[in-house]
Amino acid sequence: MIRILARLWLAVMLPWLQPTLAAGAAEPITVTDAAGRQVEVQQPVERVILGEGRQLYILAALDRENPFARIAGWRNDLKEADPETWHAYLEKFPGAAAIPSFSGLEQSLIDIETAVAQKPQLVFLNLETKRATEEARYVETLAALGIATVYVDFRHDPERNTEATIRNMGRLLGREERAEALIAFRAEEIQRVTDRLAAAKPAPPRVFIDRAAGFYEDCCHSFGSGNFGALVEQAGGMNIAKGLIPGTFGQINPEQVLVADPDQVIVTSGDWRAYSPAGKWVPVGPGADQGAVQDRLAYYPTRPAYSGTNAQKAGAFHAIWHQFYNSPYQFIAMQQLAKWFHPQLFADLDPDETFRQLHRRFLPIDYRPGYFATLGGGN
Amino acid sequence: MAYRRVTRRRLFILAGLALALVFSMALDVSVGPAGLTLPEVVRAIVMPASVPDQMAVVLWQIRMPVAAMAVVVGAALSVAGAQMQTILNNPLASPFTLGISAAASFGAALVLAFGVAIVPVALDYVVPLNAFIMAMLASLLIHGLTMRRGVSVQTVVLLGIALVFSFNAALALVQYLASAEALAAVIFWTMGSLGKASWPKVALVCALLVLILPIFARRAWALTAMRLGDDRAASFGINVARLRLETLLLVSLLAAIPVAFVGTIGFVGLVGPHIARLLIGEDQRFFLPASALSGALLLSASSVAGKMLLPGAILPIGIVTSLVGIPFFFSLILSNAKRPW
Repeated sequence: MIRILARLWLAVMLPWLQPTLAAGAAEPITVTDAAGRQVEVQQPVERVILGEGRQLYILAALDRENPFARIAGWRNDLKEADPETWHAYLEKFPGAAAIPSFSGLEQSLIDIETAVAQKPQLVFLNLETKRATEEARYVETLAALGIATVYVDFRHDPERNTEATIRNMGRLLGREERAEALIAFRAEEIQRVTDRLAAAKPAPPRVFIDRAAGFYEDCCHSFGSGNFGALVEQAGGMNIAKGLIPGTFGQINPEQVLVADPDQVIVTSGDWRAYSPAGKWVPVGPGADQGAVQDRLAYYPTRPAYSGTNAQKAGAFHAIWHQFYNSPYQFIAMQQLAKWFHPQLFADLDPDETFRQLHRRFLPIDYRPGYFATLGGGN
Repeated sequence: MAYRRVTRRRLFILAGLALALVFSMALDVSVGPAGLTLPEVVRAIVMPASVPDQMAVVLWQIRMPVAAMAVVVGAALSVAGAQMQTILNNPLASPFTLGISAAASFGAALVLAFGVAIVPVALDYVVPLNAFIMAMLASLLIHGLTMRRGVSVQTVVLLGIALVFSFNAALALVQYLASAEALAAVIFWTMGSLGKASWPKVALVCALLVLILPIFARRAWALTAMRLGDDRAASFGINVARLRLETLLLVSLLAAIPVAFVGTIGFVGLVGPHIARLLIGEDQRFFLPASALSGALLLSASSVAGKMLLPGAILPIGIVTSLVGIPFFFSLILSNAKRPW
């Protein structure tokens, strides 16, 4: 009797069991992420959570037709740090405004409730959040719900991690070809600088990087050996703050700048009207007004810290978009820096054109120049 | 006579402090990455037209404003702390007990993170102005509240603590909402830095000291009497409540302006007066100038130490004042046989 009932039960339940048995038929992919973890991700990946909004910079190159199609949720740092680019994307893809977003700094946790509620298959987390995420055990929580976590990095150690990150993202989203094309383009453009520098070995000019100019009242905040500091060194310059600042960010005594006698001063800035209306920032960025940029840049040679320096005598002041320090498009900044440091060696290099090509070949939005400026005009 | 001997000893100590201060200032002006020799420094100060432009700029626009700022800010904070400890009858009181530095930090953070200026004034002075306005608002709040409910010391201190917590919470909220760069700027501001020194700022703080010190000097005996306790002081005919309120306002002014300019420099306002007290005693006629001198000496020595610890970079001065002051303070406490408080 019981056996008959059991068989009857099985017969009734079988149709319901079938789908569960059939699931998992799509091949999962295993990638090694930026933290060195082996992660298995179910395919196809249709919904992702971006732990940092600026991951869009790469995603847009892979999902060119509609970068937001797969984004189920993201951090709102892109909207805050790079509003001009955000508006450019919003114009083309108005639906992006409806994507759920959460706030927080680079190294803070994502909003896990939002993330889970969107039922993604995959969450991309930046390497900066790793410590907080491990403490909060988010990876385990997400894994229990079948959501994979992949660490990406294009900022912390760009030389080692950017290519692998782009490749991983390409594999996971089924866009390997585009990922390889982007990697090749980037590598080629970087090599145009590094190869020539290695061959010619020109004497590096002494460079002072005026960090986040316009945010601070007092002078001489700069980068140590990380971030823009590393970029300057790679572009064939000598960062005078390198041995002095222990970490990545710090402040130099204005006297020290004077004594170090920089040949060139790079001002990293942006349109910070919203944060520091009275500050002396230089509004470089996409679509910048060159007249306004020149006006603001003209203040810098008058700073006491630069008086009598080579840079002041030659008027060698340049402004560059501050957000490059956070962007996978950093290689373009490196090209521009190299061109400023060694104009004869890189006379045929046109970073604006490189950036334009990047937009034309890979990105869905148009290139709007204005990211770089030199005092007195002309790049 | 014993009195004359005591007075002579105190004057001697004051002179000693003043001399040490002059020496510290001279050191502050001579030390720096530019590697100028002493004759060059002297010549650049006395005859700036005769030295190369760069040297004159280094001395007059970079080193001297910082050295002068250290002296006047140190003196102002220490005097403020001295009077705070006197009227609140509490050895732990500092000029920041009533929430001045917390309010100032909040005001500065508002500008740095959101560009919100309380008074829409131009350019360079927005951050200090905001900081100053918030600091004065905090102290006026305490002043107003205590006038209504009576000015017992406990009331004042409790209100001050409440304000400190409130403003710290508000500051934390601003930091939470700020962008990464703004956050770095806010944190840097709260660590205090003499790098923002300039001659107009030095002149302003100096003018403040010149205006307020005589007011305190005139009330010297009344303030000394306060240390005997409210009842004894009242029996001398002192209007304790009024004196307390007046002094609170003056102290707020004396602390708010330096903080608005250089950020929060802790420790000087707390320890400067104690050093003076250990050396010279409670008599306001000597205690007041001694506090000013010891505070100035502490900050000036910290400025020099900061330059020597990390040559080339700028170490936030609040860190250095603690590192410099604490060992000295410990040695003073432990060496002194009689209990100072």
